[in-house]
Amino acid sequence: MSSIQQYLDLFASQRTLLDEGCGLDPLNARRDEAARMLDATGLPGRRTERYKYTDVEAALAPDYGLNLRRLAPGADPYARYRCNVPDLHTRLRYVVGDVVTPERTDGNDGGEGVQVLTFAEAERTMPGWLDRYYHRAAARTPDGLTALNTLLAQDGLVVRIAAGTQAATPVQIVNMADGTAPLMSNRRVVVVAERGAAGAVLFCDHARSGQPMLTTQVVEAYVEEGASLDLYSVEETHTANTRFSHLYVEQQAASRTALGTITLTNGLTCNRTDVRLLGQGATTSAYGAAIADGHQHVDNNLLVDHAAPGCTSDLLFKYVLDGAAVGAYAGKVLVREGAQQSLSEQTNANLCASDEARAFAQPMLEIYADDVKCNHGSTVGKLDESALFYMRQRGIEEHEARLLLQHAFVNDVLRRVGIGSLRERLSYLVEMRFRGRLTKCNGCSLCK
Amino acid sequence: MLEIKNLHASVEGKAILKGIDLTIGDGEVHVLMGPNGSGKSTLSNVLVGNPKYTVTEGSITFNGKDLLALSPEDRSHEGIFMSFQAPVEIPGVSMTNFMRAAVNAKRKYFGREPIGAAEFLRLLKEKRKLVGLDAHFMSRGVNEGFSGGERKRNEIFQMAVLEPSLSILDETDSGLDVDALRIVAEGFNALRTPQTSAMVITHYQRMLDYLHPDFVHVLVDGVIVKNGDASLGYAIEERGFDWIKNELKA
Ligand SMILES: Nc1ncnc2c1ncn2[C@@H]1O[C@H](COP(=O)(O)OP(=O)(O)OP(=O)(O)O)[C@@H](O)[C@H]1O
Ligand SMILES: [Mg+2]
Repeated sequence: MSSIQQYLDLFASQRTLLDEGCGLDPLNARRDEAARMLDATGLPGRRTERYKYTDVEAALAPDYGLNLRRLAPGADPYARYRCNVPDLHTRLRYVVGDVVTPERTDGNDGGEGVQVLTFAEAERTMPGWLDRYYHRAAARTPDGLTALNTLLAQDGLVVRIAAGTQAATPVQIVNMADGTAPLMSNRRVVVVAERGAAGAVLFCDHARSGQPMLTTQVVEAYVEEGASLDLYSVEETHTANTRFSHLYVEQQAASRTALGTITLTNGLTCNRTDVRLLGQGATTSAYGAAIADGHQHVDNNLLVDHAAPGCTSDLLFKYVLDGAAVGAYAGKVLVREGAQQSLSEQTNANLCASDEARAFAQPMLEIYADDVKCNHGSTVGKLDESALFYMRQRGIEEHEARLLLQHAFVNDVLRRVGIGSLRERLSYLVEMRFRGRLTKCNGCSLCK
Repeated sequence: MLEIKNLHASVEGKAILKGIDLTIGDGEVHVLMGPNGSGKSTLSNVLVGNPKYTVTEGSITFNGKDLLALSPEDRSHEGIFMSFQAPVEIPGVSMTNFMRAAVNAKRKYFGREPIGAAEFLRLLKEKRKLVGLDAHFMSRGVNEGFSGGERKRNEIFQMAVLEPSLSILDETDSGLDVDALRIVAEGFNALRTPQTSAMVITHYQRMLDYLHPDFVHVLVDGVIVKNGDASLGYAIEERGFDWIKNELKA
């Protein structure tokens, strides 16, 4: 029997509780279709192109609890967890499991023009707004994990950057896995950068508990004409964590996005990213770095759709794999007919520090226009032996030399992080990670 | 200072050095010449412990220590420096971080605290001046995008910072323009003390002019076939290696 059955059974038996706990029409109205899809097609299997490197069935097989009764976290999360990047002032919001906690009023003056609201708050203050965006981008490409999230999601966050706003303060959403028993969380986020707006959202995933935690997450980002949006996702959880995340981005003319995905510590991570460049001159930079050892598993899969002329996409993903870790990367750039003057770069590079570590790389191009410039490449290799020896000749211990080379390898990706203090913090954490001082998340070390 | 006895070494199963005997005393400068492929770089690499090369026979003592028993790092700490014939690029590792790591590794070996930030910057500045290396190189990756000549200058800069007692210069003069060669050679001479020695590999007379070596050795097919003073070097510049090879046959 497929692992999906337990979720469908739960849905069938707890439907009323789920709907009432949620109380939001845009979410409740989309559950039936999700259930139908999951019933008909099941979970993506190894033969599903975008999931061929991750065993979804196995990941979803354990019995996780759900917070159907919407129990709020006991303690004040702002006092309990404390996540902030040194020298980075953010507008902070905690999500514990999949419960969005209230915004702290003090010091959370994100400035005019940026709203950070729960779905419930959005429904109350902007009737009809959520329904326009929720599950619109996500519905374009049917996906089993997105359907599972849609089936069970009960609340979520809205980040709305009003037209013309140049948000100086990034929004920071801290996702905290916490609990004394295995728990499933279904998180949902809608980000809208309206016409000509600019802003940044930083997602920090942490685990407070060593219990197995399963997360499905769907983020939909709508970037209107001339708008600019930076999204950062930093995962620093626990080896007992499993995360399926799907980011859907829709970009209008002359918009720009930078989408960063950093995996420092995790168990199993499966990130899907779909970017649709719908208006002329839209640009996206998608970059990622992962450091994995032991039995950690990182699978990034991107689909960039050049649907309009003159768009640019630039993809860079680098993995450092040790132990028996698995790092998979697949990126497909699709240039549609008529999308002339498309520019696309795609690079995936892997460093394997052990013989058991496995890297799968699959950069792809599918082009239906003739006036385009597209490149892609991937490498899997070991550290440069002659560089290592050069450093050792200068007295640098072999272990330290390896660390410097690996750090440099990852820093090449971190250069794309637009916020200086965040870039420095990440670079520092990467070093700590390589030094083995970041083996698991103790609440939150992005921060302390 | 250095005593090499009956040294045999191979690379990838191929015998390259076939019985080298060489002694370098304190304060001496030795020049090593020889045709391409005769084993000069191999000898240098064996001295600094490059794992690609295997010593199959013989011994090397350095200041009374069994050099072959030391790791490459410890050889460096003990005072051996090699200016590489072809210095590699290390993209993304800045010169500053690289030098700090090197300086602190040596200090740690001798039980000293890491160098202070101000002292370190002073040290870099002083040594950069000595070899005429511009400040902006310090923020670039090690040899990243450096020209051939800049790389060689960078080697001598590193040597100046680390203050080795035995410097091995493997064709440091190749790739330098005339002015750069003068600056680098003068820098090298400025660093010399009665306790520092050098093994200098070169194909050119100019290096002899600047360094005034005490000894010149000729390496042919993995063996030192002739020893002399600077005049041997000038004779090679004039007549090539064939006359030596012919002498050997006779
Ligand atoms: N890594 C290697 N693999 C295979 N052969 C090697 C390797 N390194 C050196 N050799 C061989 O060993 C021999 C000696 O090389 P070496 O570099 O020591 O010569 P050299 O005297 O320094 O020459 P040159 O004047 O051209 O620098 C050459 O035949 C060379 O091809
Ligand atoms: Mg050579």
